[in-house]
Amino acid sequence: MTDSKQGTSLGGRIRATITEQTSLLILVMVALVIVFNVFSDGTFLSTGVFSTILTDWGALILLAVGQTLVVISGGIDLSVGSTVSLSTVVAGYVLVKVMHLDSSLKGSDAWGALLIAALVAIGTGLLVGAVNALLINFFKIVPFIATLSTFGAAAGAAIIISGGMPLQGPNDFALINPIRIPGIDPMAFDTGLLSPMVILMALVTAIVGLYLHKARFGLYTFAIGSNSFAARAAGINVPLHTAKIYLISGGLAGLGGFYAYVRLAGGSPSSGAGMELYAIAATVIGGASLMGGIGKMWGTALGTLILFTVQSGLLMAGVAPDWKQIVVALLIAAAVAVQTLQKKNGMR
Amino acid sequence: MKRSFRAIAALGVIAALAAGVSGCAAPAEEEKQITIAFVMGAESDPFFQAMKLGAEEEAAAQGVKLIWQGDPSHYDVATQVPIVDTVIAQKPDGLVLIPTDPDGLQASSDKAVAAGIAVANVDTHVTDLSKVVTFITGDNGDGGAKAADAIATKIGYTDGQTYEVVVGLTSATATTNVARLEGFKAAVASKYPGIVIKDVAYSASNPQTAASNVNNWLTKYPNLKGIFAIDGTNASGAAAALQAKNLTGKIALVGYDAYPANVDLIKQGVFTALIAQDPAAEARLAIKTLVDYIKNKKSPAARDVVIPNVTLDANTSADDLKKYTYVATK
Repeated sequence: MTDSKQGTSLGGRIRATITEQTSLLILVMVALVIVFNVFSDGTFLSTGVFSTILTDWGALILLAVGQTLVVISGGIDLSVGSTVSLSTVVAGYVLVKVMHLDSSLKGSDAWGALLIAALVAIGTGLLVGAVNALLINFFKIVPFIATLSTFGAAAGAAIIISGGMPLQGPNDFALINPIRIPGIDPMAFDTGLLSPMVILMALVTAIVGLYLHKARFGLYTFAIGSNSFAARAAGINVPLHTAKIYLISGGLAGLGGFYAYVRLAGGSPSSGAGMELYAIAATVIGGASLMGGIGKMWGTALGTLILFTVQSGLLMAGVAPDWKQIVVALLIAAAVAVQTLQKKNGMR
Repeated sequence: MKRSFRAIAALGVIAALAAGVSGCAAPAEEEKQITIAFVMGAESDPFFQAMKLGAEEEAAAQGVKLIWQGDPSHYDVATQVPIVDTVIAQKPDGLVLIPTDPDGLQASSDKAVAAGIAVANVDTHVTDLSKVVTFITGDNGDGGAKAADAIATKIGYTDGQTYEVVVGLTSATATTNVARLEGFKAAVASKYPGIVIKDVAYSASNPQTAASNVNNWLTKYPNLKGIFAIDGTNASGAAAALQAKNLTGKIALVGYDAYPANVDLIKQGVFTALIAQDPAAEARLAIKTLVDYIKNKKSPAARDVVIPNVTLDANTSADDLKKYTYVATK
């Protein structure tokens, strides 16, 4: 709450955006790139690796963005991974089973169908978000349990609707393939960094970020997370605002489901498996506090980037895949430790 | 008063009719209908969905009653034991069990045998098979070897050359993954010494992660010749990654499990081959063997039966493709 209002001068605003945690994250990121480049004999610094990292970033970022809003408001949303699975499957179901389209619809011919897939996926995500809001506000179930129920229900529904197998439909792979950078052509298939889908995800992240840090919506979110009683006393409609936050988190996860659809050319029932924990990890590494009231969209975007840099980096450096979980665990522990130290220093 | 008399009279008539019907039916049928219970691993797995179809077909053909049970989505010993115990309480004549853990299900299996139920194991088995009528499984090691053959054919393997390949797994501990990888490695070592398995990576059941692993490999191994995607999830992710990069047909991709979407991709040249199991055949044989055992007290010639995996590729006939493609039940 303090960060978004601190300082009105240009310098103050820059300082507010790039705080200690953020610069620390950038440092960590640079260090990781250097270390991985050394251990992968120089193969890490390539457009191929970075485009893969950014493609992975695009798959998770909206879940992490939604999670950041929820965590700042003092809640948690465990349903986002299953929401990806369900929304991508429902989108596939509508295209394949209802509209009877198949994978022969390719390239820009598929755009109309993909637009429908996007709308269906977002709609499905909003529905899961609405159920979360209902369970939390109306039935007074704590967010952890409420979203744990929808986590299970959405995963089950994804399997029932798909019959447990991917529903392959129309797609334009050019949307997920990095746009070619003229002049750089190290390999036939590694010619770009950003795909249209990743750019779309980055734009949505920026918009939600502005909404969080520059608009009244964000102010309310921080207020509720810091002290929901005080927020209520200040005249904020806490249940309504909480409902909005879970709706947005669900809708963003639904868009994440559309991303999975384009990436896999169809609705795959396990597309979101395990992603809720990665979203929470990215949020925490980014500096958000699970106690509520603290968090930054910049941090979350960087936290997500660091997660996938580690994933790609370990593979490129030839480290056994079993180590990935341990490295991610260390990162989370380190992020929380830094947070606690900062708080201590702040109080002195 | 009148009314209750009428009701009692009606009941009496119904009872008499029922007795008459059963009296007539009993000699015609000779014996009561056989009930076979089938407890599988996880309903959500396409493998078990295909198995269910085979079980239903065979149960109908044999005229036996089928009780199909199992956890909706978790392949887990903790949820399977209570399901098996409940099924045993229903006193079926036979039980086809897919134990999610060899030791964890031993007690339940013994309990069923003690209750006079004929027990068969399919896919996986309990530790002590001595009281089990039959154990029928697919050969995952053979499937891995077939994958090596398919990759070698596609890349035009010649001795003296070196070929880089990678393997996408779901986890280090999934038993089917391990068996397939062992079979693959053994075939490579004995028949194709020029094939070098450069790396393995895990998808943790998420096809997006599987796609990401393939993207990283394409950068790390610019001379990559082949990918063995060891299960349905890895097959889906690898197929999407290669298609996105316009590498269809340029790198040998051998997948596992005949999901309809992936079978379609054989025709488009994305998959060099798919290795398929035949879960429906396993289920059919298990039920047939149990019914034979219960009716005629006849044990099968050999207790352990291994049904080989099959290779589906561009040369496979349309009929065979259809036969092995998993069908989603709903």
